[in-house]
Amino acid sequence: MNNLYLAAVINTTFRYTTPVLFAALGSLFCTKAAVFNVALEGQLLAASFVAIVANYYTNNVLISLLAGVAAGAFVAWIVAIFQIKWKVRDMVVGTAMNLLVQSVTAFLMQIIYGSRGTVQGFGMVALTKINLSFLKFSPFLYRMFEDLSTIDYLGYIVAVLIFIYFKKTVSGFHHLSVGISGTAADSLGVKSQRIQIRAVVISGILCGFGGVVHAMGNVTVFAENMTSGRGFIAMGAASMAQSHPLVAIGSSLFFGTMLSLSKTLQGYINSYFTEAIPYLCTVLAITVYGVIVTMQKRKPAMKA
Amino acid sequence: MDDFRRKKLIDDVASPMIAILAGLLVGAIVMLLTGTNPLFAYKEMFTKSFFRPYYLAETLVRSAPIMLSGVAAAVAWRAGYINLGMQGQMAVGGLVATVMAIYLPVHSWWGTVLCFAGGMGAAALTALIPTYLDYKFKASLIITTLMLNYAINHITNYFVAYPMRDPAGDGMAQQSVQIARSLRFYRFSNKNAMNTSVFVAIIVVVLLYFVFTKTKFGYESKITGLNKNFAQYGGIRSMRTMFQTMALSGALSGFAACIEIFGVRYRYVNSMFSSTGYAWTGLMAMLIAGYNPLLTLVYSIFLAGLNIGGTALQRNVGVPMQIADIIQCCITLFVSVKILHEYKRMKAFSKGTARGRTS
Repeated sequence: MNNLYLAAVINTTFRYTTPVLFAALGSLFCTKAAVFNVALEGQLLAASFVAIVANYYTNNVLISLLAGVAAGAFVAWIVAIFQIKWKVRDMVVGTAMNLLVQSVTAFLMQIIYGSRGTVQGFGMVALTKINLSFLKFSPFLYRMFEDLSTIDYLGYIVAVLIFIYFKKTVSGFHHLSVGISGTAADSLGVKSQRIQIRAVVISGILCGFGGVVHAMGNVTVFAENMTSGRGFIAMGAASMAQSHPLVAIGSSLFFGTMLSLSKTLQGYINSYFTEAIPYLCTVLAITVYGVIVTMQKRKPAMKA
Repeated sequence: MDDFRRKKLIDDVASPMIAILAGLLVGAIVMLLTGTNPLFAYKEMFTKSFFRPYYLAETLVRSAPIMLSGVAAAVAWRAGYINLGMQGQMAVGGLVATVMAIYLPVHSWWGTVLCFAGGMGAAALTALIPTYLDYKFKASLIITTLMLNYAINHITNYFVAYPMRDPAGDGMAQQSVQIARSLRFYRFSNKNAMNTSVFVAIIVVVLLYFVFTKTKFGYESKITGLNKNFAQYGGIRSMRTMFQTMALSGALSGFAACIEIFGVRYRYVNSMFSSTGYAWTGLMAMLIAGYNPLLTLVYSIFLAGLNIGGTALQRNVGVPMQIADIIQCCITLFVSVKILHEYKRMKAFSKGTARGRTS
């Protein structure tokens, strides 16, 4: 395995990380306001689909991006209405919404394109790519960051922005207070329900970016149920990061690595097994994380 | 007390009915938007699912795995353990049962029973892995069960793609060879798929109703679902209840898969449980039924009818069959809002007392 190949693998890892990172940020943004959002998967899928449909008709990157983000936000808004306003159980809303988005996209695909499977168009455009020409001195570094889109970089910036939002702004402080105790926040004049609804809609916007990257980042295509559990992988990433936005970058990168390994290892191992790797690794990672947490909890008790 | 019961019954029956009507209304609006006459489409959908003998048989056969995976979900959910892995558990159970049926020297009815036991056992073990991880390491059951669905789907597909693949046929179909004739459930006629497995499924679901309402296990799991701390305080060992409910949930998923294989398909086919979505339809049926096995049975038949009618709709009217899934999801969402009703009442009540105090 030569160096440039490794650089290419890292490059794929960055691409696979972005949707997971955005969804994980969306997940932790809800968790911090005491909302358990299970519908991330549906938000991602809706954004991917709408972005591709907009792309098919307009061939315009910006319009597709905005349409995708709006679709993610719209799904999230419905989730927020059911889950927060009408107090429906999170699991029920989440699973029903995920299945609803899945069937609606499959339905519309057949109505618009007359076929199941995949949507690909001739004139469709991919996201704008950035090539860092100042890295040309090293082929390794250049290959590592080759052809990443603006939104790939945006993911890391948003993670930092969310960190700053929580730490430094009054609004972020209110957000956290709702997460700690909704009734206490309410009694001090913070409108907890409004903050929770806003949190879910923002998670929809974040998932919207993730879904758009997923559909238009590498090859511009929509396949039926193409997110295949990434929303849930992101939930794992967020819970491993204990809802800390900067740590979420690390955990998302881990899952991005697993996703890219499942593609790169296909040359060596049967693809049926490599396809299972990211999912098995999610289970494994959550477990290992649980072991570490329980051990940490045990330590102070033993000291005392 | 009697008045309360009557009110609860009305609530239990009326709110799903309203939700079903609302769901069908959403479906009608979607069909109108795509330029189809919804009245015509619904007439087609329901005659081709309930009111023709052939289609009624199809509906009942389709409903068997749905109702079983529905009660499988209900067992776990009512105890507060969110099992989303019915699909993966079905795949493992179905595959193990098929392997046993093909490679072991089994025949006649005891062979079927043996294969069922093997499939159910394997499915139960599959459900126990995430349960153990949750119990021991606090790995979220929701994420692990769901992730295992995808992993299991890919790995089981490997077996029918390579070692177990049926060499006969056009070579395109990734499926195992058929199981022996003596192991299959009895079919009443060659014209449709109606067979005895449907009755077995119904009997099991009715039995589970009694397990839920009349046994110690049913009571313990219900109390655990309502309030874990209270259950522990009352002397219910939560660990034992957790493993018991999840094992039963997995075994029932495996049972559903075996019913499908030994009653209808006679072989394991590539992605047979992930592409059909029995597990998810069953989950929705039990959510609409509010964990009640008998109502789950009723709604499973209804949802299976929607699916069968949906395929007829696609064939004859040109509306994609996913319309049935859209209607199902909407019904589930609308049923869940009945909590709104209770919530509003509670809110009105608390407001009333607050006002009473200030005045």
